[in-house]
Amino acid sequence: MKCADSASALYNERARRRDFLLLMAGAATWTTSSYAQKSAKPVIGYLCPESPELFASRLKAFHDGLAETGFVEGRNVAIDYQWANGQYARLPALAADLAARNLDLIVAPGGAPVALAAKAAGASKTIVFEMGGDPVQLGVVDSLARPGGNITGVSSLNVDVSPKRLELMHELLPTATKLAVVTNPTSPTAQSQLQKLRPAAGTLGLDLQILNASTEHELESIFSSMAQAPAGGLVFTSDPYFAFRSRRLAELAAKYRVPAITQSRDFPKAGGLMSYGGDFAQSHRRAGIYAGRILKGEKPSDLPVQLVTKVELVINLKAAKLLGHEFSPSLVSGADEVIE
Amino acid sequence: MIVRDRFRGLFQKYLLALFMAVAIPLVINGAIEAWFGYRDQRARLEQLLGVQATSAAAEIHDFIYGITNQLGWLIQLSWTDEPDERRRTDALRAFRQAPAIVSLTLLDNKGLERLYVSRLGLNRIESRTDRSTDPALVGARASQTWFGDVSYHRGSEPHLTVAIVGNRPSVGAVIAEVNLKLIWDVISAIKVGKTGHAFLLDRPGRLIAHPDMSLVLRGAEEATSKPFRSIRDAIGPGGGLATSLDVQGHWVAASAAPVSGPDWTVVVEQPLAEAYAPIYEALWRTASLIVVGTMFAGLLAYALADRMTKPIRLLEVGTERIGAGFFDHRISIETGDELQSLANSFNRMAAELAVAQEQRERIAKLKRFLAPQVADLVDRTGEDSLLDGRRTEVVVVFCDLRGFTAFSAGVEPEAVMSVLSEYYEALGKGITQFAATLVSFSGDGLMVLVNAPVAVEEPALRAVDLAVAMQKSVQDLIAGWRSQGYHVGFGVGLASGSATVGRIGYEDRLDYTAIGSVVNLAARLCASAADREILMDAVVATGVRGKRPLEDLGGRQIKGFDEAVPVFRVYLKPTG
Repeated sequence: MKCADSASALYNERARRRDFLLLMAGAATWTTSSYAQKSAKPVIGYLCPESPELFASRLKAFHDGLAETGFVEGRNVAIDYQWANGQYARLPALAADLAARNLDLIVAPGGAPVALAAKAAGASKTIVFEMGGDPVQLGVVDSLARPGGNITGVSSLNVDVSPKRLELMHELLPTATKLAVVTNPTSPTAQSQLQKLRPAAGTLGLDLQILNASTEHELESIFSSMAQAPAGGLVFTSDPYFAFRSRRLAELAAKYRVPAITQSRDFPKAGGLMSYGGDFAQSHRRAGIYAGRILKGEKPSDLPVQLVTKVELVINLKAAKLLGHEFSPSLVSGADEVIE
Repeated sequence: MIVRDRFRGLFQKYLLALFMAVAIPLVINGAIEAWFGYRDQRARLEQLLGVQATSAAAEIHDFIYGITNQLGWLIQLSWTDEPDERRRTDALRAFRQAPAIVSLTLLDNKGLERLYVSRLGLNRIESRTDRSTDPALVGARASQTWFGDVSYHRGSEPHLTVAIVGNRPSVGAVIAEVNLKLIWDVISAIKVGKTGHAFLLDRPGRLIAHPDMSLVLRGAEEATSKPFRSIRDAIGPGGGLATSLDVQGHWVAASAAPVSGPDWTVVVEQPLAEAYAPIYEALWRTASLIVVGTMFAGLLAYALADRMTKPIRLLEVGTERIGAGFFDHRISIETGDELQSLANSFNRMAAELAVAQEQRERIAKLKRFLAPQVADLVDRTGEDSLLDGRRTEVVVVFCDLRGFTAFSAGVEPEAVMSVLSEYYEALGKGITQFAATLVSFSGDGLMVLVNAPVAVEEPALRAVDLAVAMQKSVQDLIAGWRSQGYHVGFGVGLASGSATVGRIGYEDRLDYTAIGSVVNLAARLCASAADREILMDAVVATGVRGKRPLEDLGGRQIKGFDEAVPVFRVYLKPTG
C-alpha cells in the first residue's frame, strides 16, 4: 500500500514536472495566450475509497459522464487520484491532502464516508459526491433542491431500499422467522438503516439478528456462523465496503451455502443469490456530468442533488438452485436481470 | 479650391438629384423586401414551432399513454375475495415495462386496497384498507382516467398520481405513482432547430420536464418556474408564436400545445437569433447591397454631375474670358449635345467679336486724321481700302503762327499751352466743318489734305474756304491775344497737284499722309505768307477763279523750285 502510494506520488511528481517543462517550452515558443490556455486546464481531485481495480467500472461511468459534457482526461482536464484501497479510516487524511492541492473540484464517489471526509477536509473546495445514503439526513446538503454551499452530487437510493432487501429475502424464505442483517458499524448510515429495518421486520413478522462486519475476517466469521444456523438468510445493508467486496461475498456465500442479498449487481453476477439497489453506472455517470458542468462554470448550489431513478433487482437462478431455494414467479418476472 | 468650387450650385444639385434617383428606390426596395422577408419568416416560424409543439405534445401524451396502457392490463379481471398471486406478478411486470411507475395500488370493486407494490417501500398484500373515498378513486370513477396534481417528492422530484378504473366496476381500480423525472428521456430528445428545446409545465405553471434536469428538480420553487410560466403566458391560451425572455435572459421564439389528459402545456422554444437567422442573413445581404448600391450611386452621381457641370463650367469660364475681351479664347466642349453647339456658338461669337474689335480699333485710329464724316463712312462700310496708297490729285493746306517761337520762349509754358489749345480748337472746327483730312501737326504748324482719301467736289474751293475760315477764326484769337500782349500772326499756304497718299508708320503708329512736290510747295507758300495772308499756287487759283476774290501776286522765287512760281492771294476783307 505504501509502495503504491509512493509510486503514485512519484507519478504525480513526474507528471507535474513534465507539465512544467511543457509549460516552459510553451512559454518559450508560443504566445502568452497559449500559455494561459495550458495553465487553464482544470484539475479534478478524485477521492476513491477503493483500489483502481475494484473501482474500474465506476470510474468508467464517471468518465462517460465527463465526456458527455465535453471533458476528456488528459486532453482538457487532469484528474488527481487518491486511492484509499479499502482503508476507509484513511479517507480523512487523503481528503485533507487533496484539499491542500490546487484543484478546481473534488469528486467524492463511492459512498457517504467519502463525501463526509471530503466535506470535512475541503470546506472551501467545490465537491461533487456520489453516495447511496440520504445526503440531507447525513448533513451533507441542506436540501435536495437547494444543496447550499459548494457541494452537490448524486444519491443512488441504496440506503433507502434496505427494507426492500429484507422483504425480498423474506419472500424467498417465507418460512423463516428470523433473518440476519449485516451492517458495517463504521458506516455513517448504519444506524439510519437499522432504524428503517426494525419496523419493516415487524411488519413482515420477522426477528432481526444484527451482525457487524467491517473487515474481511469478520465477514468470513459471519458466513461461517450462519452455516451452523441454517434457517436464516443474510441481508446486507447498503454500504460501500460490502458493495466493493461482492466477489468475496459471493465466494463466502457459495462456500458456506448461505442465501444472501446485497445492494450491488456484482454480487449475483459473481455467483451470489440476488441484489437490489440503485444503478451505480447511472449514479457515477451523473456525478461525472455534474463535475463537467461545474468545470464549465455552473455553481454547485444551482445543481440540485439528483436521485437515481433506477433501482434494479438482479437474481441468480443457478445460485438459488445450488442453495435449494426457488424464486417465486412474480419475483422472476419483476427482476430487471435474471442470471441463469 | 477647385474641389470646393465643384460642390456648389449645379454640381451639388445634380449630384443630389442623381444620387437620390438611384439611392431612394434602392432603399425603399430594400426596406420592403426586408419587411416582407420578416413577415414570411415569422409566419414560417409560427407554423414550424406550432407543428413542433403539437408533435412534442403528442410525444408527452404517448409517454403518459404508455403508462396508462400498462396500468390498464392490471384491471382486466374481476376481483374475488381470495388473494391472487398473479396480480402481484402483473404489477411487478408493469414495473419493469414502465420504469416511471414508482408504486402501484390495486383496489377492488368495493374500494378496498388489495395490493400495494413499491420500488422503494415495503409491499402490502391484502391490507383491505378502505380507500373508497380516496380522491384518486373518486376522480377515476367520474372520468375513467384521473390525473392528480403534480407533487414534488421531498421538494425536488416531480411525481404524478394516476388512477384508472376498469370498463366494469368488478375489476376495481389502479392508482399509480409516476416519477415524472423520466419524461426527461422524451423531452431531451425533442430538438427545435439547432439549439431550441421543449419544456413541460403543469396546470399551475410549474416546471415538470426540461432538458436540464437540475431545473426540474427545483420546479417546485417559484423562482425556477416563473420564467417558464411567463413564456407560457406570453403565448397565451390561443397558441401561436410569442417572443419572450428565457431563463438566461435571451430572447426566444416559443409556441405551445396542450397535453390532453393531465392538462399540461408543452412549450417549444428556439433562440430568436437562431430562428431569425435566415431573415438576419437576408437583412445583412440587403443592407450590404444597399450600402454598395448607394456607394455606386454616389460614384455614378458624382461622375454624371461632373460630366454635366464640366461643360457648363467651361462655358462659364469661357464667357467670362470673352467678356473680358480675350476674343481669341475658344471653349472646347466635345459632348456632342446642345452644350457643344452652345460652345460652338460662343466660339463663333468670339471670333466675330474679335473681327469687330479689330475693325473698331482700326477705325478709331482712322478717326485721328479723318474727318468724322469720312471716318463714319469707313466705319459703316467696314472698308478701309480707300486708305491704301495711291496717286491722286489733292489740295494741301499748310498753316502756322508767325512769331510763335519767339513768343513761346518769352512766356510761361502754361500760357503757351493755353494759346495752342485755343488755336487748335479753332482750326479743328474748320477742318471738321469742311471735312478735310488732318495729316499732321507739330508745334504751331498744321497740314491738311482735301480730296483725299475721299474725293470731294471742287476741292480747291473747299480748301480756300477752309483757309479763309481758319484765317478768320485765328485772327479773332490773335486779336484777343494782342490784348494780353502776345504778338503772333497767322499765315496759310495752299497748293494743288498730284501726290502719293496713304498710310505710313508702323503697327499702331500709323498716319495718313501725302508725299509729293505739291506738299513742299504748299509748305513753302505757307512759309512765305505773312500774317493774315492766304497764298496759293496757280492750280488752286484756277479752281476758285471767279468764285472767290483773288489777287495775283506774280511769280515768286520759292526754295526748291528752279523757276519762279506764280502765287495768288485770297483777298480778305479787312477786319475791325
